[in-house]
Amino acid sequence: MSDEGGDSWQERADRALARLVDASAFERILISLAALAMSVVVGAVVILVSGWVATCESPVFSVAGIGSFCYDPIDVYVTLFKGAIWPSYNVAITLKETTLLLFTGLSVAVAFRAGLFNIGTQGQLVLGALGTAMAVLWVAPVVPAGAVGALILITVGLLAGAFVGGVWGAIPGALKAYADANEVITTIMLNFVASGIAFTLVSEVFKDPESQTVQTRAIPGFAQLRPVFFDSTVFSMLALVGALVLAAGIYWMLNGTSFGYDLRTSGVQPEAAEYGGVESKKTMVSSMALSGALGGLGGAVYVLMVASRWRTGIPSLGFDGITVSILAGNNPLGVIPAALLFGALKTGSLAIEFQLSVPKQLVGVLRGLIILFIAMPEFFRMVGARFRFGDERPTVATDGGETTDGSAGGDQGGDDR
Amino acid sequence: MSYADRSRKRRLLAGGTALVAVALAAVELFFPESPVSEIVRIVDANYVKSVLRLAVPITFAALGGIFADKSGVINIGLEGLLIISAFTSIAVAGTISGGSPTQLQLWVGFLAAVLSSVLFALLFAVICIEFKADQVIAGLAVWLIALGLAPFASKVIWGQVNSPPVATLSDWTLGVPFTDISLFTANPPVVMMLVAVPLAWYVLNRTAFGRWIEASGENPKALDTVGVDVRKVRYSGVLLSGFFSGIGGAGLALGRVGQFIGGGATMVNGRGWIGITAFLFGNYNPLGAFGASFLFASLDALQIRLQQLGYSIPSELIGIIPYVTVIVVLAFVGHTRSPSAAGEHYESGEE
Repeated sequence: MSDEGGDSWQERADRALARLVDASAFERILISLAALAMSVVVGAVVILVSGWVATCESPVFSVAGIGSFCYDPIDVYVTLFKGAIWPSYNVAITLKETTLLLFTGLSVAVAFRAGLFNIGTQGQLVLGALGTAMAVLWVAPVVPAGAVGALILITVGLLAGAFVGGVWGAIPGALKAYADANEVITTIMLNFVASGIAFTLVSEVFKDPESQTVQTRAIPGFAQLRPVFFDSTVFSMLALVGALVLAAGIYWMLNGTSFGYDLRTSGVQPEAAEYGGVESKKTMVSSMALSGALGGLGGAVYVLMVASRWRTGIPSLGFDGITVSILAGNNPLGVIPAALLFGALKTGSLAIEFQLSVPKQLVGVLRGLIILFIAMPEFFRMVGARFRFGDERPTVATDGGETTDGSAGGDQGGDDR
Repeated sequence: MSYADRSRKRRLLAGGTALVAVALAAVELFFPESPVSEIVRIVDANYVKSVLRLAVPITFAALGGIFADKSGVINIGLEGLLIISAFTSIAVAGTISGGSPTQLQLWVGFLAAVLSSVLFALLFAVICIEFKADQVIAGLAVWLIALGLAPFASKVIWGQVNSPPVATLSDWTLGVPFTDISLFTANPPVVMMLVAVPLAWYVLNRTAFGRWIEASGENPKALDTVGVDVRKVRYSGVLLSGFFSGIGGAGLALGRVGQFIGGGATMVNGRGWIGITAFLFGNYNPLGAFGASFLFASLDALQIRLQQLGYSIPSELIGIIPYVTVIVVLAFVGHTRSPSAAGEHYESGEE
């Protein structure tokens, strides 16, 4: 490293960012693949042990002195992946999940890049979904049925979902910026609050009078995102293409716009960003609002494409989004394969339960394991970077003194450094 | 916001709460027929008892969090530890007894649950201390693994995510020796909580080990210099967080509910996260953390009672009160200064 003492904070931060983001791409892919491989191995142990505990009529194999095993790990993994693509209807389910996970994965990734840990995507999605359902039901009577009406209603629905999710996401952003409240905790609490509010609103005010369960009336058929290529009622190619374009757009936003620059700088070097003239408080609120809007869009697509209404028991797409984003190294383009992988796992989990009676919650275990393994090499890499570029960052870890970001928040990990 | 400002606000909040309590008592005294009085009358010995029971998992998670965080390892996986121990307690007690455990078998389940939580915490400690994992992400992983593993194992064992119900731990009765007079009866986990809170305070503030924990999180280099192994202190801190969370989770499952419920956010339902907020609100002080846990639990108990009284307030809406309170508390008075070196990895100079 040449002497950089005379440079401004902004220039230094700029170079550090460029180097760390670009140089680490290959390494990061290796880390994610290694984490996946390790999770598969540990997952196999979980399958073996649970197969040993479980009782079944015809064990797949027995070991003398140890006992019989009900599940064969290789069989489970093969079924898991086969189930994601076969029969062909399952491809539609996989792509449906992928589409939804793209939104929540991008939501978490944007916040992460700004140094904020958004665990609240689930709540933003739940309320965004409600906003979409309400807006579409409200506007539907005044638009003509057919293509024009569909265009209007889908646009209104997407905007409403993004708006409600954005507002809900801005709350923890503002709490962090102006009251120094840890966003890890507030976003988790807001998840509980969001589902409580949504449930109450629907059950007390907007309930479908003809239904026993807590759900809104169905949106008109012509406002639903329809299949184009697949013969499926739950998946629309249009939505997937839209989500892919959005991923590319977010990538461009982060890497090609000044807002994206401010956002990333705040995430990597908060102090440098401040010196460089970034208004960190505003960036904090706006990046959380953007993150929430993406989560809300996920809710909108869930209503428009999958459920046709707001209903209780919305799947935990927001939490899966955390895994997708962390696996993708919080890179918007990396979110695409990560979302596809988790979409496939989701569909495959139904197959293993149906065909092999292995509980589908296994995928939840794998999700946690992947995050666990990514947490470790990630730090090895950061340590390596710190040694190589020792003059770049103050070595706060070893002297036990003041830290650069002493908060207990999630702003210390997982982002591109 | 300065530290002094925060403590002033904390005092204001405490004073305000006291004022409201006095005002409510006055309403009860002078307007016994008013609806407010009906609500005030909720607060009786039974109410306090149920608040204490509800406070068990929150308080124990908070105590665990204090020890881990103070030693320099941020453990946001407390929720996961509660889930693991709640599940293990029911699974072990149910399995060894074949379905209807005796009191002794329940206690075996209790011990197994604490052990499982400590083992999980050990795993977390190894990952954070030896492999220098990012603590927040690793803590998140602990939560997510537990959230997947417990319902998965439930299905393997019972064929569904919820266990069949089992008995709960019988109350302990403390009486005057050699007479029939009983002074009080209480749920065992509640008694443990009432012992653990002052004990934790004593250990942290009056013992050498407490000073090491403090130094490990604030100034590990100084601790290293005087010849105390920072790694060992941090391991103890994290293992204690597993120990306390284990009691909290088992106390929830065996002390009160008598079942493992694995659907949705599981029966733990965010109590670990509220525990984290409780100790932040209590400024890393076990007594303060208990006070905050008591506050959250009393809101929880209040919404349960209001529903029993038949108030037509939607239960889901009242149910969010504790979470909203957590946010308000965190935003206005709850922020505290974390230990300086929390989240940072420490490398001994001798290595």
